[in-house]
Amino acid sequence: MVAPVRNTPAADVAATPDKTFLRTRTKLARGGLTLAMLCSAAGAGLMVGQYFLIAQVLRDAVMHGAGLPQLMPRLWLLLPIIAARAVLLWAGEATSIGAGARVRLAVRGELARHLLALGPVALAGERTGALTVALIDSVEALDAYVARYLPARAASALVPLTVAVAVLAADKLSALILVLAAPLIPVFMVLIGRGAEKLNQAQWARLARLAAHFLEALQLLTTLKLFNASKREAETIARVSDEYRQATMAVLRVAFLSSLALEFFATVGVALVAIAVGFRLLWGEIGFGEGLFVLLLAPEFFQPLRGLGTQYHARMAAVTAAERIAALLARSSLPLVMAAEGPPSTHGGADTSRRRGWRPFGRHDDRGCDAAPVAAPSLAFDHVSLTYPDNRVALTDVTFHLPPGRVTALIGPSGAGKSSIAALLLRFVAPTAGTIRVDGEDLATIDPATWRRCVAWVPQRPHLFHGTIAANIRLGGPDADDAPVARAAALVGADAFIAKLPAGYGHIIGERGAGLSGGQARLVALARAALRDAPLLILDEPTASLDAETEHLVARAVRRLGEGRTVLIIAHRPEAVRHADATLRLQAGRVMQEATAPCA
Amino acid sequence: MRLMLRLLTLSRPAAGWLALGSLAALVALVANVALLAVSGWFVTAMGVAGTAGRSMNYFTPASLIRLFAILRTLGRYAERVITHEATFRLIASLRVWLFQRIEPLSPPALAAWRSGDLGARLRTDLDRLETVYLRLISPLAVALVGGAVLVAWLSRYSAPLAWLEAALLLLAGLLGPLAVARLSAPAARRQVTEEALLNAATVDLVQGMPDCLAFGAEAAQLAAFDAHSRALVRAQVQNGRAGALAQSLLMLCAALALWGAIVLAVPLLRTGAIDGADLVMLALACLGGFEAVASLPGALQGLGGVLESARRIFAIADAAASPAPGGTARSRSSAKEGMAPFKPRAFEGDARSQSPAAEGEAQSALRATRGPAACDIAASGLTYTYPGAPAPALRDFGLTLRQGQRIAITGPIGCGKSTLILLLTGLVAPDGGNVSLGGCPAGDLDGETRRGCFAVAPQEPGLFSGTIRYALRLADREADDAALWRALRTAQLDQEVAALPDGLDTWIGEAGLTLSGGQAKRLSVARALLRPAPVLILDEPTEGLDAAAAEALLQAVVANLAGRSLLLITHGKAGLALMDAVVAVPGAQASPPQTA
Repeated sequence: MVAPVRNTPAADVAATPDKTFLRTRTKLARGGLTLAMLCSAAGAGLMVGQYFLIAQVLRDAVMHGAGLPQLMPRLWLLLPIIAARAVLLWAGEATSIGAGARVRLAVRGELARHLLALGPVALAGERTGALTVALIDSVEALDAYVARYLPARAASALVPLTVAVAVLAADKLSALILVLAAPLIPVFMVLIGRGAEKLNQAQWARLARLAAHFLEALQLLTTLKLFNASKREAETIARVSDEYRQATMAVLRVAFLSSLALEFFATVGVALVAIAVGFRLLWGEIGFGEGLFVLLLAPEFFQPLRGLGTQYHARMAAVTAAERIAALLARSSLPLVMAAEGPPSTHGGADTSRRRGWRPFGRHDDRGCDAAPVAAPSLAFDHVSLTYPDNRVALTDVTFHLPPGRVTALIGPSGAGKSSIAALLLRFVAPTAGTIRVDGEDLATIDPATWRRCVAWVPQRPHLFHGTIAANIRLGGPDADDAPVARAAALVGADAFIAKLPAGYGHIIGERGAGLSGGQARLVALARAALRDAPLLILDEPTASLDAETEHLVARAVRRLGEGRTVLIIAHRPEAVRHADATLRLQAGRVMQEATAPCA
Repeated sequence: MRLMLRLLTLSRPAAGWLALGSLAALVALVANVALLAVSGWFVTAMGVAGTAGRSMNYFTPASLIRLFAILRTLGRYAERVITHEATFRLIASLRVWLFQRIEPLSPPALAAWRSGDLGARLRTDLDRLETVYLRLISPLAVALVGGAVLVAWLSRYSAPLAWLEAALLLLAGLLGPLAVARLSAPAARRQVTEEALLNAATVDLVQGMPDCLAFGAEAAQLAAFDAHSRALVRAQVQNGRAGALAQSLLMLCAALALWGAIVLAVPLLRTGAIDGADLVMLALACLGGFEAVASLPGALQGLGGVLESARRIFAIADAAASPAPGGTARSRSSAKEGMAPFKPRAFEGDARSQSPAAEGEAQSALRATRGPAACDIAASGLTYTYPGAPAPALRDFGLTLRQGQRIAITGPIGCGKSTLILLLTGLVAPDGGNVSLGGCPAGDLDGETRRGCFAVAPQEPGLFSGTIRYALRLADREADDAALWRALRTAQLDQEVAALPDGLDTWIGEAGLTLSGGQAKRLSVARALLRPAPVLILDEPTEGLDAAAAEALLQAVVANLAGRSLLLITHGKAGLALMDAVVAVPGAQASPPQTA
């Protein structure tokens, strides 16, 4: 069974990568967030002005019997203030949203490039679903942190401060009440919230698992029915949901105490201000205008703090997501590859130019394998060993030779290391010891991208990309127009089934090659390889799990494709490689036998 | 609107809790507005009394302030606890309801859910519906009632004031957000499309990585990925900024309500209709009233999505409820009749011997009346075409399998071999032809009795996330570990499981160990072996195994049949020598089958 691949040492060393990760990535948002903060500060200032004017107007109306004519000038002045506040509120939100978008875009691009640089071998232990979630959902979750939590945090410092200063100017005692009540809120939130919040998160995670189980039950309904278990499952869903509810509510009743505390202090703060102001008004210690002004401002003092409380959930989710992304970004590509050279797409240092200058197979121009004809190469494995970072030994001291222009079969039971040889030849990984030579030259000194242009590969389970069949074949030659694509398909015998499709070469391949059978997918991959027209052809289990008819079709395609090329066919059944010129047998990471006669 | 009503009907099981939760929210809301209004009245009255040098009764308002402060705090707490309780109850009933609706669907109709895209969408849809009460219905109800109470109270002082407040509340809470939602509807739709496109691009990037690297297509792949990522983010930004418009409008309306209240109430003060304390109280109540609609802009922005989700879920449920073409209608109607004429004789396989589990009352009764295991199968002229398929998957197929016989069914991929399982077990009804089990027409049996004859290892292993023990026990809930190990040994999986640190307790599937295709297949074979049924059907059990291992697996299975019949469906040659007969299914368009 495929055990999940452990993290590379680099990931273990990097302590709390999420903290630095969030800090460095939010730098991108700094400009936008500063602007949002300015909007928030200006809005707070305007709000103080607004309530000051309203308190004045109400005082004059109540205490001095002023009528609308006297009040109207100030009331008119209020309207532009209100409008400006609304505009500033929107502008702050809009810039925060923009800042969050910038961060998401950058992190997603960075993660995608990093994953490609890591390559399929380093990522072998990750389920593709988990990587997809990281690229989409985890990146989306960062938005809550950047676009909502960070602005809320800034507002929760700025606005209460502005309000406190204004209240202090009007009434010292009220300011004192507010300033004393305010710190109690975060203190209690921390005291009650920390533990409960964690439990709360665990409960939501359980809810997600429950939902996953429910969807699984729907997806596997046929299996459930075959075992007469589908009616039982409805009861299970009801019972498990109910148990979950009871367990969760026990936790939530405590978790909500933190918001109860927050609410309590905010409400009591306002009530205390009201009562303190009221009595001193009765005793004539402060003016009515000042008192009213303070009363109007008091709720606004607590508002941003409550807002911060509601964003706390969002922050937790974002931090979890950031941890996942940071862990992926902290993974270095296989050390072996690093030693030989940098990851293919990110490093373009000075010494790669030398490698780019590599001329394959005696070519005298610099067009590499892009321009035919290229002579079929000779390949040699010279005491090659491969040990994966988890100490899994894939190959031990393997030595063999692929003669130019010949078909060599590599057979052996599953797990013998056949796919590792393909991975080595495709430069997804480099040998731990030994050398692979191409026409006498060390493969490690050749730029992987240049090298891969000389290789056509037909994997066991080819991935068909979302798009037309033509586009999928064109992976082998991006600039090819329709005629060469059709020729390549005809060469491997894929044209027959393509012609039967309603849209022919324009047939859109949906999710996971939906609409095509495994054999048809392999024919498309063979057409891809045919279009590639590379001097080295690697075929991984070209005929496995195919019915006789398709197997025949594929075998014929392989023979046609192999002409004039160096071919390596990987298979676990000897009968699949009857037409090979030579057969290598691989057993437990070693070449056991090199037969020169076809094995039949 | 009809959709909303249907949603409400669905929530009937939790109706009491829902009502209680909204009531608590209402109390908290009213307490908050009252707190603000009474505070304003109190401060003003005290100020007036202070200036005039009069004394006043300050005990009542001061204690009212305290009361409202406590009511507000406790109301909020009660609201959160109760609405969550209600939501969880709603989740449970919604899921059971949907499962029961979908359960009778035939496999071809179910195939749609197997696709990841629909599955993921169903998940989002359910998530939205499950929180629709918490996020939308309750806030809407509270806003309507709370707003109405406030407006009614204001109208006692001044009708124009009440009208103004009502209009502004309506604008900020309902009309504004709905207008914004309509305005941003194209962007919202684009966002949904772009999400799906980015998802496809991501799957291509991750799953197609080896192909992409080998063919040097990194740059093109990244460019496509970036383009989709950028398009999605652009749609999200447009949507988000439109949503911010509604928030901003809310603030504007609240401030205008306060402003308007002053403008309308000051003349009343001059006429003596209200006093100074009333003026401040009314002004603050008008301002505070906007708490009633504060959560609506956010809630209504998601309304389109919620309705879309509800529509999809109801469509699924309705499709399931209408009599589907295919086997469902037939097997259900016979299930209703209850009394099935056929009583298959119970089977006591070796895996079963120490656990006499109840498979349902009918079956245990049968076990008592009838003796040894037997379920002879006779099928003739079976023809089936999948809905929408141009040609039949299986045409005029016949088969006879007496109890204890071993028959292999071979044929090219896609010739309908697997469809045969669905036809025999009654999960789909044939377009033509007959199946009889134990001498009785299978159409007369209810589905569960019929499937009691079969233990199937289907082509798709169909394993649940969970421990290996859990996965196996689907076949027999009371099987002990010894029985599980026996089945694993026969399926040639015991050594691999024994080598795992957690053995039978190893978690597989989501968040667990990933099984290779061959391992999943053998686990599914072991599960079928555990099921005490007279006919064992194995669909391509040796896929992913080399010839020697395949032969060993089938030999072990045959050696442990203990009187069961075996139907082996395969396109390979392994194990054919162990069979009593080999039936070839020709391609769908070819001639009738011959028995070898």
